[in-house]
Amino acid sequence: MTTHPAPTATVVSFENVSKSYGDVRAVADLSLTLNPGETVALLGPNGAGKSTTLDLLLGLRPADTGTVSVFGTTPTDAIAAGRVGAMLQSGGLMEEVTVREIVTLACDLHRRPHPVNEVLSRAGIDQIADRKVNKLSGGQEQRVRFALATAGDNDLIVLDEPTTGMDVTARQAFWATMREQADRGRTVLFATHYLEEADAIADRVLVLHKGRLLADGTASEIKAKAGARRIAFDLEGVIDEPALRELPFLTSFDVSARTVRIQSTDADATVHAIYSLGLYPRNLEVAGLGLEQAFVAITEAEEAKAA
Amino acid sequence: MTTLIRLEILRTLRNRKFMFFSILYPSILYLIIASGASSTDKVPGTSLTLQNFYVVAMASFGALTAVLMGNSERIAKEREKGWVRQLRLTSLPGRGYVLAKIASGAVVTLPCIVVVFIVSAVAKNVRFDAWQWLALTGVIWAGSLVFAALGVAIGYIASGDAVRPITMIIYFGLSILGGLWMPTTVFPDWLQTVSTWLPTHAYAALGQAVEMGNAPHSKDVAILFAYFLLFSGGAAYLYRKDTLKA
Repeated sequence: MTTHPAPTATVVSFENVSKSYGDVRAVADLSLTLNPGETVALLGPNGAGKSTTLDLLLGLRPADTGTVSVFGTTPTDAIAAGRVGAMLQSGGLMEEVTVREIVTLACDLHRRPHPVNEVLSRAGIDQIADRKVNKLSGGQEQRVRFALATAGDNDLIVLDEPTTGMDVTARQAFWATMREQADRGRTVLFATHYLEEADAIADRVLVLHKGRLLADGTASEIKAKAGARRIAFDLEGVIDEPALRELPFLTSFDVSARTVRIQSTDADATVHAIYSLGLYPRNLEVAGLGLEQAFVAITEAEEAKAA
Repeated sequence: MTTLIRLEILRTLRNRKFMFFSILYPSILYLIIASGASSTDKVPGTSLTLQNFYVVAMASFGALTAVLMGNSERIAKEREKGWVRQLRLTSLPGRGYVLAKIASGAVVTLPCIVVVFIVSAVAKNVRFDAWQWLALTGVIWAGSLVFAALGVAIGYIASGDAVRPITMIIYFGLSILGGLWMPTTVFPDWLQTVSTWLPTHAYAALGQAVEMGNAPHSKDVAILFAYFLLFSGGAAYLYRKDTLKA
């Protein structure tokens, strides 16, 4: 069966999708598109609507309004066709069976299954294959869930907070396996609140806040959108604060003792202007904001707008 | 799908405590209830002795208990733990899920029935022809599948703490009104009419027809079949629509 999509086809599309639970709007007028081969991070604080977005994408809940399509069809049909593998935060496991049995089940239920042993070893659970599912540690359970999500030849893999409960080594091993999947041309979408994961792994970051899409771009674009780069330097003699505050492209300003710390949307121009004032900054540092700071900046700006 | 059916059966067999008590329960109940029953007095309006009536009633009741209680509670628990959500991310159709649950129920009910029969023959000296024993086992076993399907449906309608009371109400209501605890001929007329349309009544009637040396009535078979379609179809629909979140 060669039902792989043409490389240009859209993998996932949300068109003006909204979903509420009673009075709470979990997802508000969300529109987005995922393209083949992308590794996309869905980033947001708790309650941002990440899990609801994934539920809608997987057809586990119906949208109130708007359309969700996966490979040009409904999520349910795309799943039935064996094109989507998913690892849910809330996905439980069958009890009283062994790891091998549950993985065999997942392979049996898949339209385009991989061999069971291959799935076990790729997920790193071949050593514990004969153990009962209800006797596993949190990290081992996560790997079993990962095995269920990769039991067959999926074109899209959806992961909801996949590394929860894993230690650092396990987390790195996990992302190495995940990258292998992405390198084979699969589209990977993962929800996370570990910003470093989004920064290190994703080609593209979607920032979700209160059910709305705040930003969509590469990690560095998101950082740029948040305003910026940090500039810090020391000055000798009397510091002329009013003149410094007039520097171009500033987004924040702070002086303590001899050290000036500013943030600028155009660090090159700001530094040039500092020299043009005839100042001679010492220990000059220019650094990008971490994604975390960028994220805080974006969501704070949004809260301020809403207030 | 065959792997799921196999695993569901294996899980049930591995659950030793559940198997042990499910199998023992109807036999104990039979001994308690039937110990005082006369082996010469007839059930009003039939040629059936009370003793023989209780053999079939308790075998049916025991099979029904095991699947109704077993399925509804286990499924409600599985939904809460999120296993059903995970399963819905596979290409498994709703009927596959329901079928596997019914199959796992059938594994419990067969020994329930056989053990009640053995106990009745050994302890109470109940005697039937060989074909009757076999036919009784067959019809009671097949009929229990209807209630396995009902158990699946209840597991989807109710959740959390509500499962047990809801199951109990349906379980006792159907058992008593359907005549599994006492012959329905002791009921007032209007209640007897209601009773004939219940799945439990049709279920008990299958066995009673065989006990009296007849084939089961086609009306009872049709009623059970209709309930089976209703319960299993409803369960499959609810499986697909389930939005319960852990």
